[in-house]
Amino acid sequence: MSPTLCIAKSMRLSCAKTRCPAIVRCLSTGSTSPSEQGSKKLKTLTKEQREYLSSALRVNQAGELAATLIYTAQTPPITNRHPHLRPLMSHMYEQEAAHLRTFNGLIHKHRVRPTALYPLWSVMATGLGWGTAVMGREAAMACTEAVETEIGGHYNAQIRELLEMITTWKQEGYDVGSEVEELVQTLRRIRDEELEHLDHAVEHDAKKAEPHWLLTNVIRAGCRGAIWASERV
Amino acid sequence: MATALPTRTATRCFRTTRPRTCNQHIHSRRAFHSYDHPPPPGPFGATETLILSAAYKHVPEHGFTHRALSLGACDAGLLDISPSALPDGAFSLIRYHLYTQRLALAAKSSHIFQGEDAPVGVGAKVTALTWERLMANREVIHQWQEALAVMAQPSHAPASLKELAMLSDEIWYLAGDTAVDPSWYTKRATLSMIYSSSELFMTNDHSPDYVETNKFLKRRLGEVQSVGGALGAIGQWVGFTASAGINVLRSKGARI
Repeated sequence: MSPTLCIAKSMRLSCAKTRCPAIVRCLSTGSTSPSEQGSKKLKTLTKEQREYLSSALRVNQAGELAATLIYTAQTPPITNRHPHLRPLMSHMYEQEAAHLRTFNGLIHKHRVRPTALYPLWSVMATGLGWGTAVMGREAAMACTEAVETEIGGHYNAQIRELLEMITTWKQEGYDVGSEVEELVQTLRRIRDEELEHLDHAVEHDAKKAEPHWLLTNVIRAGCRGAIWASERV
Repeated sequence: MATALPTRTATRCFRTTRPRTCNQHIHSRRAFHSYDHPPPPGPFGATETLILSAAYKHVPEHGFTHRALSLGACDAGLLDISPSALPDGAFSLIRYHLYTQRLALAAKSSHIFQGEDAPVGVGAKVTALTWERLMANREVIHQWQEALAVMAQPSHAPASLKELAMLSDEIWYLAGDTAVDPSWYTKRATLSMIYSSSELFMTNDHSPDYVETNKFLKRRLGEVQSVGGALGAIGQWVGFTASAGINVLRSKGARI
């Protein structure tokens, strides 16, 4: 139980570390830079940056869609046998549904193409959720643990990339638009909620699934594959 | 402004834009539309725009040809050989038409969507915008069959298809469609087909104010709506039956 809790904590900490330099820099340039003349000066996004942002939004939408469907499929078999888990399942589902709405809105607003593999992910996520739920409570929780571990790392990588973008803009004397700043805030909030799910899963005996190592590793490899594919198509 | 530009500096700045190949800027849109940051540069450089916008005025008379391009270059105060530096020749002029008319749609849409008989609902807005875009071809429609032949050449077909895809994306976006599921793809694909067939129909339409094209467009859009509605109803029925079946099994005690 403790090692994964540790992972969740260290993930939050590792990002807290990357957050610090950006804040310090923002404070220092804010007080010294002479270029603050009121008018906002933003740098045109390069082609690579726009492509990165599109693929980030696309993969996040696909991921949240999958998460919503996993919990939808898990809930009936799990709550039938363990009615006390009903509030937890509905709490996690509602958070995922809110994340999906967030990314659906962002995809539309920024005119990003949704992933072409949408139907495939829908079928696979439903199958994964239902399959692990039928295997039992522990297996379902191990599934949550594996998925949220991958997702936490994935969001952290995105946040790190965006902070790097922001830092470079500040070094070059440009302002940072509210769009990107809000995106970082949103990603941080969602990352924390996903890691909360990870903690819940471990508290509910995810580690007792048999065979735990096989289940989590297979699911994690699947997640990595799905992320890789969704970033591209 | 155009004639005041010294020829030599113009050709020099033209040279700097020269190495950009066609493929580089085809993909310059459709990736993360930002509202804060300044937009990325358009597909045409400053001098290219100068030549093309001047040449565009000669299209109704001379078509999308090198003749129109060299007349445009002369009007812009450049050497009439300078259009030969355009990477795609006459196709650049066609692409200029497609690009400027696509961008013009956003300004027109706010005009269309105001007033008493403004279209209500996404479907009506799509119809109105598609019709507006077809009407933007009115000035050049007698030259358009030739342009379509150029666009269909293997070296130009990918860029033409990309423009078509961006046009239908623009129309759905301006119409206020918010779908981000697989229907995103089917909507754009069907609208692209409808638009291109209506455009082809329009090149042979001699009716006043293109009423026949208008009827043709509305028939095609109506067909798609009825087929889409039927498919949606079937999908809903299958989904309902499946979930009802599973729930019956669950109520019988099956552990699923």
